[in-house]
Amino acid sequence: MKRRHLFAGVAGLAASTLLLAACGTGPSTSSAPTPTEDPSGSITFWSSLAGMDKVAEAFNASQDKIKVSFETIPNGANGGYAKLSTAITAGNGPDVATIEYPQLPQFVSNSQVIPLDGLINKAETVDKLTDETKALVQFGEKTYALPYDAAPMLMWYRKDMLAKAGVEVPKTWDEFEEAGKKLKAVAPDSYLASFNPNEVAASAGLAWQAGAKWFGTEGDSWKVGVNDEATQKVASYWQKLIDQKIVKVTQAYSDEWSLDLANSTVVGVVGANWSATGIQKRTEASGQKGQWIAAELPNWGNESGAFYGGSSFNVTKSSKNPAAAAKFVEFLTTNQEAIKARGNTGSAFLAFPGLTPVAQQAYDASYFGNDIYSVFDKAYGTITPGWQWGPNWDITNTALKDAYGKLTTGGTIHDAVDTAQEATVASLKQNGLSVTE
Amino acid sequence: MATQALTTTVRRRGRALAGTGGRTAALFLVPFFAVFAIAMIAPVIYSLVLSFHSQQKSGLGFGEAKTVFVGVENYVQVFQSETFMEGIARLGLYCLIYIPCMVGGAVVFALLLDATVAKARKLFQLLVFLPHAVPGVIAALIWAYLYTPGISPLVQALQGGGIQINFLDAHMVLPSIVNIGVWEWTGYNVIILFTALQAVPREILEAARVDGAGEIRAAVSIKFPLILPALSVIMLFTIIGTLQLFTEPNIISKATASVTSTWVPNLWAYDAAFIRHNLNQAAAASIIIAGLAAILSLAVTRLSSRMNKS
Repeated sequence: MKRRHLFAGVAGLAASTLLLAACGTGPSTSSAPTPTEDPSGSITFWSSLAGMDKVAEAFNASQDKIKVSFETIPNGANGGYAKLSTAITAGNGPDVATIEYPQLPQFVSNSQVIPLDGLINKAETVDKLTDETKALVQFGEKTYALPYDAAPMLMWYRKDMLAKAGVEVPKTWDEFEEAGKKLKAVAPDSYLASFNPNEVAASAGLAWQAGAKWFGTEGDSWKVGVNDEATQKVASYWQKLIDQKIVKVTQAYSDEWSLDLANSTVVGVVGANWSATGIQKRTEASGQKGQWIAAELPNWGNESGAFYGGSSFNVTKSSKNPAAAAKFVEFLTTNQEAIKARGNTGSAFLAFPGLTPVAQQAYDASYFGNDIYSVFDKAYGTITPGWQWGPNWDITNTALKDAYGKLTTGGTIHDAVDTAQEATVASLKQNGLSVTE
Repeated sequence: MATQALTTTVRRRGRALAGTGGRTAALFLVPFFAVFAIAMIAPVIYSLVLSFHSQQKSGLGFGEAKTVFVGVENYVQVFQSETFMEGIARLGLYCLIYIPCMVGGAVVFALLLDATVAKARKLFQLLVFLPHAVPGVIAALIWAYLYTPGISPLVQALQGGGIQINFLDAHMVLPSIVNIGVWEWTGYNVIILFTALQAVPREILEAARVDGAGEIRAAVSIKFPLILPALSVIMLFTIIGTLQLFTEPNIISKATASVTSTWVPNLWAYDAAFIRHNLNQAAAASIIIAGLAAILSLAVTRLSSRMNKS
């Protein structure tokens, strides 16, 4: 009992027992595949992550029992999940897929990925993870994925512009607002950051940091709180920033967004460790080398943070060789060679202990004006516990994104989170799920 | 050998002509109907079946979903959906702006082309058609670039002239997307109308000229009525095409938050299928869109045949 309570408390999956009970109504666990000591055969691997082709090659070169063929697919924003989900349903999906944490529960709930229990060496993989990362891949005491990166949410700033405004790196959100005002005073056309309607996961991260719980379970039903109290606080705060023109409303990764960074209209980015390459790519030609620094997310008074993005690797239902697929998933997420093979593709921060130094070595961070990895480390240590992703993130994601569309014509973030709450509850109920608000 | 084969074919054809026309016709039609059945009829039937069922989960939704027959419930849900009806209304508004602009433009261009001298005609024909040679996705991407404030030379030039305009805000985005459609499709339809104009008997035009009709009078009173059948074909294609509006808003939605994920009915169906994972509702929405296309096509065909008779 004690252990279960501990698990529930730490991982934020209070309903784990009920989930287990729900699973119990299906086929009994005895039908779970048994681990093969020495799996072999051919498997396919789909990912939108850069450099994964090289990782697959490295795996193929490292042994000759399992042969992985790799295929690049579009990322989630460009229909990657639609492709993956349709392919799995049709029975011709890959053996190994890449799924980001917010989307993972919906793949689990649609039975499109299989539990890895019994297929992987638990002691050497899952058991070595932190509770926060475990919580992202375990549902109902089953492990449905191995986590690849753990992406702490961060702020990126132009340190020359902060200096010009005469401010230090903001530690709290109050200081952030002050910094924005001071920046306006010296550079009236500049914004401290942008607010990105198409990056709902960032909104989720900001709410998560403030202690919001958009999804949770209460008995046998989902509790949805997209407009809960903590979120309302965050919403009011960002609305204030928009109204004062401290942040600019633009679609992230759009041409406008890129141009704003290049020409110093926007001098900060709400991002994560993986934002580094994107910032470098867009600002390098404008002579901003050495000016960009990573910083912990400003907070509400206590050290706190959230994850923003990050992917996991899974074995899909359509896999005909789950044992070999699981072996490859282990390699992807825990083997140093997998990280080395990927090369200088980005400033990865990995969930499995001991891998981040390898990634750090492979990445050339000389573009940045501070030791970004030490900032990642600090931010990683302050994740607010208790967050859980819901049974269908895409519903909330599009609902909030759509509602944000009204921001430029008089709508507010407040209205948007209310709309997203209603839409999420309605859609989940339409799928027959039990939902409380 | 060759001669023998030739004679057999000739003989066979002769026999076919004599009595088994139906069988030969059937033989030629089989490939079409086979593909039509596989690619058109079967998916429609499958969608119909899907649209009357529903995947029901319970509780937290982990575990297998049950497929249950729900009758017309999915259709009711689609019609009750505010966003779907908004999408239909938006599409209606789109048609109201798009069809007159595009078809009107095509008629004017075609008549102008028909009136110009032969040499320049080939060049203009090519120029007018050129936008249609650009694939829809690419066109939308280029226009998204031309609409984005701060980057677009177009917006910049307008600003230089003192005009502040944001093509991508909630009010302007619909006309902006209409513009992409007009740019893409006018040239294509000019070619159809121009071909119809070529078929207008020259003696009628000459007679009109002898009677003192100028170029404009000839265009309005003689050429235009004679290309009405072609015009009704264009209307038919345009209406069906417009109902399928998807690519342009989908691309533009990456540049602005004004285009929502359920902006037009086809986007709504996509959202239902791949975002909300409700294939059954998506099937119902698709059937509704197809039904709408059928009704509108029927209306256009009826109207044009009545017009042609009178």
